Amino acid sequence: MTALDGIQAAATVLLGLLVVGLLKSHADILRQLHELGAGRGEEPRGPVPVDLAMGSSSGAKGHDMSGHTPDGEAAAVAVLGATHDTLLAFLSSGCLTCNGFWEALGTGGDLGLPAGMRVVAVTKGTGDESGSAVGGLAPAGRTVLMSTQAWLDYEVPGSPYFVHVNGPTGRVVGEGTAATWAQVVGLVSRATADRRRSRADGIDQELTAAGILPGDPSLYPTSPPLTGDHE
Amino acid sequence: MRISAHGLDVDVPSGWEGRIREQHLPFAPAGSHGTQFRAHAVLHAADFVLPEERGDFGSGAVETMQPGHAFIALVEYGTSSVGTALFASGAGMPRHLRPDDFNPRQLQRTIPGQAGTQRFFVEEGRAFCLYVVLGSMAARGHVVPRVNAVLPAIRIGPPVPPEWLEAM
Repeated sequence: MTALDGIQAAATVLLGLLVVGLLKSHADILRQLHELGAGRGEEPRGPVPVDLAMGSSSGAKGHDMSGHTPDGEAAAVAVLGATHDTLLAFLSSGCLTCNGFWEALGTGGDLGLPAGMRVVAVTKGTGDESGSAVGGLAPAGRTVLMSTQAWLDYEVPGSPYFVHVNGPTGRVVGEGTAATWAQVVGLVSRATADRRRSRADGIDQELTAAGILPGDPSLYPTSPPLTGDHE
Repeated sequence: MRISAHGLDVDVPSGWEGRIREQHLPFAPAGSHGTQFRAHAVLHAADFVLPEERGDFGSGAVETMQPGHAFIALVEYGTSSVGTALFASGAGMPRHLRPDDFNPRQLQRTIPGQAGTQRFFVEEGRAFCLYVVLGSMAARGHVVPRVNAVLPAIRIGPPVPPEWLEAM
């Protein structure tokens, strides 16, 4: 009887450990799903883990976009050849993380971005998204384009996703995802500042290669300044 | 980029934006009681960022134009306009404009420095007004050729079957 009791006790302990392990594994799966936005619409309890690749220049060619606005206008949006940069915010109506971005886009003004930058929110087209749902989220006065083709052209892996296109060159200068609008602003601002510094360094290198060093007389005007009396 | 809607089609060149929407005008078919509304098309094209809030003839957009910019509006009128004196040119939509066609006095709303032109015509049995605004009268020699690159890319289809809306 004593040996049998021992076997039963050992089996009970093993079964208990197995159940605890299964419960822990199950809880881990549920927690991860919840943080990724699965569920019945509850807000995530903490920041969503994201990949911050914004600011890394892919150099890929950008694309002009066409589709529809949420209120049914057929629309073509110019990205290439523009005198300004464009930040494309690929969002969806059903993604919980996107809610904060829709709200941020509705705050108006320059949204904290570098001067002159245009922001266009891009959802998938009317075959994949509800026009009325997107229309309910679209901030007044902000360009919102519904275009599945744009998602394909920019190879968007999911929402939210941001692509920064330099208008004059038509090249993608940064892309990635973020958890908050403040992160997007910080990354875009840093990338823009880096690009300006790189351009200035490039000019310095070209001048140096041409034998023009700091202080060179050719860098300074020799003609008398205009006084304003001359037309 | 090509966009099509409401019987209009435009191949938008790079650097230009385009929009096609419909407006609803009151219409009173024979024998009807009360007011009904019928959809008519409005096309906008511009070589600058088109604001979301725009009037049919570009209010809200033309105020943001720089001197080198151009704005094109193609606004459809009701079928009752077909055959009236205003739309009786018989020439269809102009696909080529001359710098001398533009004048500040043809602007719907006078903005210093800007110039415009308006043409009323019938094409495919549909009555339209073509309204073009230049950001600068002085720069018309440079801007009008770019307008003329877009106008031939606009196609007008046959009348769209009526879509009667509920009486208001």
